[in-house]
Amino acid sequence: MEVLDKKRRIYVLGGGISKFAAERVDGNMRDWINEAVIEALEDSGTRIEDIEHSTTSYFSDHFDKQLKGGAIFHDNIGMCPKPNVRVEGGGGTGGLAIRNAYAYIKAGLCDSMIIFGAENMGRQVPSDVAQQFIALASDTDWEVQVAGFYIAYYAIMMVTHMEKYGTKEEQFAMVSVKNHRNAISNPKAHYPMDITVDDVMNSKMITYPYKLLDNCLLSDGAASIVFATEEWAKKHSTTWEKKPTIELTGTGCGTDFMRMADRPFPYPGITHFRGKREGAAQAYKMAGVKNPREDFDCFEVHDAYSGVELVSYEDLGFCKEGESGKLMEKGVFDLGGELPTNTSGGLIGFGHPVGATGIAQGIEVLRQLRQEAHPKRQVELNSKRGGMDSHGGTGTFCAINVFERRD
Amino acid sequence: MGLELIKNLMDVYTAEDPMAFQHPDGDPYADFREVMRIEWKMDFTYKHVLGKYSKFFIELANGKFVTTECTKCGKVWAIPRPVCADCLGTARWKELPGTGELISYSVSNFVPAFMKVEIPYVLAIVKLDGADTHFTHQLRNYGDTTDAIKTGMPVKVAYATEPVDHPMLLMWFEPA
Repeated sequence: MEVLDKKRRIYVLGGGISKFAAERVDGNMRDWINEAVIEALEDSGTRIEDIEHSTTSYFSDHFDKQLKGGAIFHDNIGMCPKPNVRVEGGGGTGGLAIRNAYAYIKAGLCDSMIIFGAENMGRQVPSDVAQQFIALASDTDWEVQVAGFYIAYYAIMMVTHMEKYGTKEEQFAMVSVKNHRNAISNPKAHYPMDITVDDVMNSKMITYPYKLLDNCLLSDGAASIVFATEEWAKKHSTTWEKKPTIELTGTGCGTDFMRMADRPFPYPGITHFRGKREGAAQAYKMAGVKNPREDFDCFEVHDAYSGVELVSYEDLGFCKEGESGKLMEKGVFDLGGELPTNTSGGLIGFGHPVGATGIAQGIEVLRQLRQEAHPKRQVELNSKRGGMDSHGGTGTFCAINVFERRD
Repeated sequence: MGLELIKNLMDVYTAEDPMAFQHPDGDPYADFREVMRIEWKMDFTYKHVLGKYSKFFIELANGKFVTTECTKCGKVWAIPRPVCADCLGTARWKELPGTGELISYSVSNFVPAFMKVEIPYVLAIVKLDGADTHFTHQLRNYGDTTDAIKTGMPVKVAYATEPVDHPMLLMWFEPA
């Protein structure tokens, strides 16, 4: 893999988010995407008539009961007859949409692209039906009939992590506490909460070692970002000179066997995210990241479950295998720590409307690098670099993107 | 005349602006806060083909555990694959003894109702004797308490003798 045209760079001009909530009874996906897009256009100082291409990001045809949803979102914002493409990467769909913008612009298929994503996860179907829809993202012939819900698999991963490295339940409960807390200063978050490790530990046991408060929730919401080359931005963005310049400097993607049982052991076995390590290596190489813990000022991590965030730290190279729990205890990943993670609240605190999630992670990094985040969650800029990681399945598909502020 | 004309109407309500914090000058969508909710029922039944994996299920019904061995590299995938994912060689069916070791497991106190299983529910990852990869299934008949379940303990495939709702449920694991 070699980035051929080093002069052609991809910039993040602006982003918009339509509030994440348990149930957005005020509208549907079309409405939320419109809101996110209008905000992204305002933030980027661009007009939709100038943007050349769009990417649609949503994962479930079942929740949304609309094939070709992208065609509707695209025509709602006046993009016809310009090109559109839909991407799908399970829970990592939003991260893939960002990667797609990089690929299309870098290849010269367009100089500008708007990406928009949403999911109608909420409460339109009973929880039992929602669980079935989500279960369809595991192997329907071999896994769904045995255990049609994800937490049973994620719990196995964490049990092996605890056995192998001595990781403690309290350590990943701290992730939940941190992410709910960070969400308090994010007005668009679904689940802001001031809780303690005891609250997490005493919440209802779902699948050992995961309790109710270790899990992210199904959310409604949408997010959108405008990307472009410098030349295009100079011509079409009224805010290009006024706002800090943020570049998308690296993107990576990795995969693993759909079924955990098929994964090679001992590594990654049923403990680690091999796809994440692969994707991060690609993204870091492109972005010149050598020591991730020092080279990033902030990182949005795919915390579908609290323990997933700890394992991800290890596979994203923030620490050695087995060290994440102890570093969590030391506050390394808290606001004010060495590498604050999920300053937005993450999936646990901000929410997880799947097709929007990865895009919203990118917007959080954009806000942080522009120093526009709420003062209570704004990080200190040193390396001026931020990253995001999103995945689908049990780390079956991973997309990692790196952003850097250019002053 | 009126809303009673709509047979699948659930309700009409006034929604609040979920982003009022961002709209100090008033709700830009004030004209659109009256919302209708309808019931939309969809019911699907598929005729699903199990393809080249079918023999696995046919043999389960006969009380045998068969899987595939690659004719090129010899790898035995516990969950069968007609084409080896390591070398793309074509495979042949091979019977395994159905014994193995418990690699890891999770205990669920909650499962979605559609799963129709007893609680606590134990999902097991097992290394079967003669296989090079793992297999995932339920662990049942482990005794009165899940405390009896230990990583590394010997387990065996058990076969259904009563009719099941899906061929995958023709088997499960039990302590050996």
